[in-house]
Amino acid sequence: MKPFFALALAAASTAASAQTPATNPMPDGSRDMYAGLGVVSRPRYEGADNHKVSALPLLQVQWSNGLFISGMSAGMHLSNRPTVEYGPLLTIHPNRDESGSGQIVDGVGINVGPVTAMRAQNRLVGMEDVSTRLEGGAFFNYYLAPEWRLTSSVLFGAGNDRDGARMEIGVQRLALQLAPQHTVSFNAGATIVNADYNRAYFGVTETEALYSGNPPYRPGGGIKDVKIGARWNWALSPSWMLVTNVQATRLVGQVRHSPLVERPTNVTVSAAFAYRF
Amino acid sequence: MMRRAHLTACVTLMLTAGMAVAQPRAGEWVNYRDAYRAMVLFDKYGGPKNLLNNHLQVLPRARGALGQGAQLLMKGKTVQTSLPLDGLGRTTLPLLKAAYDENAVLTPNRALGGFTVRPRVSLALRADGAYEVAELRAACEQALGYARYADNSARGQQCVGVRLVFPRDGEAAAVHLRLGGTATVLPQARGAAFAGDVDDDLPTVTYRFAQAPAQASLHLVMSRLAPSQVLTYNAPLAIVPLFE
Repeated sequence: MKPFFALALAAASTAASAQTPATNPMPDGSRDMYAGLGVVSRPRYEGADNHKVSALPLLQVQWSNGLFISGMSAGMHLSNRPTVEYGPLLTIHPNRDESGSGQIVDGVGINVGPVTAMRAQNRLVGMEDVSTRLEGGAFFNYYLAPEWRLTSSVLFGAGNDRDGARMEIGVQRLALQLAPQHTVSFNAGATIVNADYNRAYFGVTETEALYSGNPPYRPGGGIKDVKIGARWNWALSPSWMLVTNVQATRLVGQVRHSPLVERPTNVTVSAAFAYRF
Repeated sequence: MMRRAHLTACVTLMLTAGMAVAQPRAGEWVNYRDAYRAMVLFDKYGGPKNLLNNHLQVLPRARGALGQGAQLLMKGKTVQTSLPLDGLGRTTLPLLKAAYDENAVLTPNRALGGFTVRPRVSLALRADGAYEVAELRAACEQALGYARYADNSARGQQCVGVRLVFPRDGEAAAVHLRLGGTATVLPQARGAAFAGDVDDDLPTVTYRFAQAPAQASLHLVMSRLAPSQVLTYNAPLAIVPLFE
């Protein structure tokens, strides 16, 4: 059977990873929606040494025709088989400026730590801002068993030149029920990107080197990061749920040696209340 | 620094969560949408399934918590009905758009100390209690076809038999296998109806298809004279397909 609460709720969107909730068959004309609010603690930008705490809006909607919105992603389930999921996928890739990446969930960022010290060490000062981008692509998921899902997605359009491409692959252990109303899911995965993506987010051009003080850096493509995470869903009542996420990400390969990367391993923690409409 | 940030995020939410858990009988409900999602898969399955039944089974955490008269109450804004549970805690879930849209809730009519629900596929029962072996095989194959549709891990499995499950307090389960003109009693055992059931002390009789005559030619002759049958004298609660 499909495990209950196998939904990839939007709280996992903090790393702007592409999300595809499990197929959710429902009566024609119906929809299943979660909306809520919480907090997230995440790196100021990918590779930053310091974190910020901000508000985390949470949204997941699925319609009977297969359309879904999940955090910063939207797509459509086209498969009729319960063991395979595929379809088009759109994702909003967050911008990055001197204050860090983000704005993915709005949020009045609360910088943790002395502001003056952070400014002095801010490696993004003098770097060109990277604009928010709409990425387009597709997803394909395969169920080894109802509770084990292999996930993959390919997205294009990141970076100021819109030529960044990334592929995410992963495996998920869905909805391990600890007790009635308590489920835990686990995931692990990796992101593979092209050179243009890496140069947009982790490269330093000659001009940027002059303004920022960072040494010039021109990375190639390859594996960008590996990650592991867990999600705990606590159904507080038939309509309310508490969603808690922990995800550790390690930047690897050429990205890890970027002058912008202060800390290759980072942890993102979020918790949010969601109401089921 | 990072730890403080994480701690702030977690503690704030956990404290609020603690306050939000003001609800009666924690764990004594299931969302209709989740149950619907589990059950509609069988409904959408396009393969042969005329010899099968699909039920929603209530699985209490404690053994023996259901008992006679147990029901599942379905409550929405406009939808309200009670679903009687059989001896295995199963019921037929109506697939209703109104209940889905109203985010109806399923609650038991008595305290169970927490429960979950699962979809369960079993073989359709016959009123006369006589099951042709060929029909049991066909039904098991239908169940396997559905299992393969719903679960990739079932692709390597084969139908090996059926398990007849009887009420705990009912009359002794007498099941005969009739091959040609001879009838043999199938041995009874105690066990669970379905994998994962808490109650594993029900009278069961397992019929493995390999128990048919070894010589295919003999079987053919005998089945032409009189079809092989599994005969039950007390109605089973369920006939469960066995895959290995």
